[in-house]
Amino acid sequence: MTNAVDAGDVGLLELRDLKTHFFTQDGTVRAVDGVTFEIRDGQTLGVVGESGCGKSITAMSVLRLIERPGRIIGGEVLLRGKNVLNYSDQEMRDVRGNQISMIFQEPMTSLNPVYTCGDQIAEAVELHEAISRREAWGRAIEMLAQVGIPEPARRAKQYPHQMSGGMRQRVMIAMALSTNPELLIADEPTTALDVTIQAQILELMKALRERNKMAIMLITHDLGVVAEMADEVVVMYSGKVFERADALTIFEQPHNPYTRGLLASIPRLGDKRERLEVIRGVVPNPLNLPTGCLFKRRCPYAMPVCDTPPPVRQVKAGHISRCWLTPESEPPSIGADAPPEVAEAAAQELTVAGR
Amino acid sequence: MAAYVFRRTLQAIPILFGVAVIVFMIVQLAPGSPIDRFRTPRVSPAQLEALTRLYGLDQPILDQFVKWITAFVQVWRRDAWGYSTLDGQPVLASVLERVPATLRLMGLSLLVTIVVAVPIGVLAAVKQYSWTDKIITTLATIGYAIPSFILGIYVLYFGGVVLKMFPLFGMESLGRGGGDIFDLAWHLVLPVTSLAIQQIAGWARYMRSSMLEVLHQDYVRTAKAKGLPRARVLGKHALRNALIPIVTLLGLSIPALLAGAAITEFIFSYPGLGQYFVQAVGVRDYPVVLALTMVGGLTVVLGNLLADVLYGVVDPRIKY
Repeated sequence: MTNAVDAGDVGLLELRDLKTHFFTQDGTVRAVDGVTFEIRDGQTLGVVGESGCGKSITAMSVLRLIERPGRIIGGEVLLRGKNVLNYSDQEMRDVRGNQISMIFQEPMTSLNPVYTCGDQIAEAVELHEAISRREAWGRAIEMLAQVGIPEPARRAKQYPHQMSGGMRQRVMIAMALSTNPELLIADEPTTALDVTIQAQILELMKALRERNKMAIMLITHDLGVVAEMADEVVVMYSGKVFERADALTIFEQPHNPYTRGLLASIPRLGDKRERLEVIRGVVPNPLNLPTGCLFKRRCPYAMPVCDTPPPVRQVKAGHISRCWLTPESEPPSIGADAPPEVAEAAAQELTVAGR
Repeated sequence: MAAYVFRRTLQAIPILFGVAVIVFMIVQLAPGSPIDRFRTPRVSPAQLEALTRLYGLDQPILDQFVKWITAFVQVWRRDAWGYSTLDGQPVLASVLERVPATLRLMGLSLLVTIVVAVPIGVLAAVKQYSWTDKIITTLATIGYAIPSFILGIYVLYFGGVVLKMFPLFGMESLGRGGGDIFDLAWHLVLPVTSLAIQQIAGWARYMRSSMLEVLHQDYVRTAKAKGLPRARVLGKHALRNALIPIVTLLGLSIPALLAGAAITEFIFSYPGLGQYFVQAVGVRDYPVVLALTMVGGLTVVLGNLLADVLYGVVDPRIKY
């Protein structure tokens, strides 16, 4: 399955209007509700947002690992132009751990406690490549060495509980990369680790990214990690993409009030403030979403027009934002003092122009 | 590991002594005595008193206890566990004679239980909330709820009377003694079925919940994300972990199995320890009741030790 790398302008992975909903007894949760973005070869895409914004579910949907009561109900996941949502189970298994690998947030629990680390890495290699057990074991040791684990031959024979959290995450990375995937989905890979280990793991991922020429979809709520790693950033909120732009733009000229709020909440060294800057309020209850803009109740720029779902505007080439605010960097030019109908009319116009 | 087992064995001594004290008290407190069965109008009070003296029942309780426990631990002596007040045979010899029969019954039941309950439990967990799951869970609850004496009688009735396929009682056909394996097996079918049904019910439920817990673990998701086929994810990654608590259950269920065997053996007139025990309780055969209760206590201690040792074998995280 690891073919078609020379696919010209066909991107590596493209999500089009992906919808993954959970049908619970209390109602439908639209965990991922119309997500669109793409990842090109070798690119690192940061997906950021608060807990519960749907970023992990998006990643799980790409690999079709969604379990009941969740279901992918719409959209497309194009891998090299082919919709994996139409793949058979067998074809999907050939993608998982081979073309696309995934590492998870919890290194402490993501490895099986009753098998040795080497065994778990070799298993992945053996599955996707026609090689012997012995060769697979050799590859496992080689991978452990690559991710900077000292004495890899001895470590391979150890069980996960004999290693620290950082070591285990390295093992996870070794396992994910052992089949040389084109895309690595990293779901909060450093969240559970302490800061020095975080830095080491990020450095490691960067180095391996260069060496293996792979793309990374980096899911995190840590903007510091994004700044460190990402080429492009997708900001998600309540299952929708709120802003998408290259990393520099997101940090230097964010457009969406939510993104601004996120950036403002990063504590800065040397600040003499008593309290941290926060985004007021909490993420809306997914079973009872507000009408119109999902962020309006917490938004400092909220205006009457926000009761209507906001448009997705193009702020500039490669920079989109889901907001009624106009593309100018300094908001707000509508709604603040205009009556709602006028604001709405003006906004509609802008939407058309923006598209 | 050896040191651990040795330490645990030493710890078992005070536990068993405590069991001995309690068991002795309970037997004393229970209404009736071994001479009650002689209490008929034709037996004079003087004769009853002579019997009481003969069995030492007129002595102070403490003296009786000391005398009993001192003899009891000298298992190398033929009369260590005393003589049955019913048949006058040495209790130790009678117990040893019946152990193989009970072990056969228990062992086979356990085997059948595991072979049936583990797949059923896994199936119910994998298909959680489906009809398969609901049917399995309902049957398991019913199986768990039926008292062993009712179940035993129904199994006996169905297999022995309705189908007429299996013998109604005993361990071997009359006159065919001497270990004809097929004959022994033929006699074991109904008691094993009866005992296994009760055990399967509980085990299937344990297996289901253990498997369900494991299925939601992160490492199962990792296994799926690796691209492993579903059978490998379930069979290799999930099942292996789900079996860990079940192995512990293995050790802990042995005493329960012994207790269940008592009723079952009695119903099927199967000449094992259980039947011996029920019969002895009926006539207050003190030496036999005491000896078998101590055997039961020993089984609990050994079962627990076995569970802990097995835990260390199946779970690499446990080291002694």
